[in-house]
Amino acid sequence: MKNEMRVQKFRSIEEMNKAPEPASQEPPFERFVRLCAQYWAIAPKPYPRGVFKFRSIEEAQKARLKNSSY
Amino acid sequence: MRVLRAFESAGLEYVLIGAAAMAFHGLVRATADLDLFIRATPENIERLRTALREAFQGDPEINAISSEDLLGEYPAVRYAPPTGNLYLDVLTRLGEAATFETVEAEIKDIDGTSVRVATPAALYRLKKGTVRLQDQADAAALRERFNLKDEK
Repeated sequence: MKNEMRVQKFRSIEEMNKAPEPASQEPPFERFVRLCAQYWAIAPKPYPRGVFKFRSIEEAQKARLKNSSY
Repeated sequence: MRVLRAFESAGLEYVLIGAAAMAFHGLVRATADLDLFIRATPENIERLRTALREAFQGDPEINAISSEDLLGEYPAVRYAPPTGNLYLDVLTRLGEAATFETVEAEIKDIDGTSVRVATPAALYRLKKGTVRLQDQADAAALRERFNLKDEK
């Protein structure tokens, strides 16, 4: 992958946030897979293995929070 | 990718939602889970089991995914494979309204594999009303990127 690296300067964080992200040559889904792999390598979150059943998405999210930082 | 290929090979009727779906629309962030709605029929749940067995070397835990649960009291099933960091959240319905049939989707191609992905508007509708902060951030990103408006 070859990213175009350029220096951009901003007068404020607001101006920085409004600036478009640097364009990536990499297709988004491939970038997603690569980022996930990096994320898992940096911050592995061992999840209990197997099948878990939930009556609602809220119940599922509570279980996810127990095993995750986000 | 192995999972998506297995879904296609098994003929699973599904629609990808969550961070993986957002990535197909160019909004990329890391995640540990693959979220999907599946069509709620016993035949399709069998296809899901077939696909997961193919992707995860016949893990016997997959037998615990049942039609009785997904079509009954447990519309959300999480499967964490024996290895790796990815887990799958499989839904047959979300609240009263959202199901495989009600989530607007489009077909994307990745390395020759067809993937059914929720549209940006459908993802926005799913995420905007939830309490999870990450979902709210995702909804804001979708609204801004795709200039989405709230429906009345």
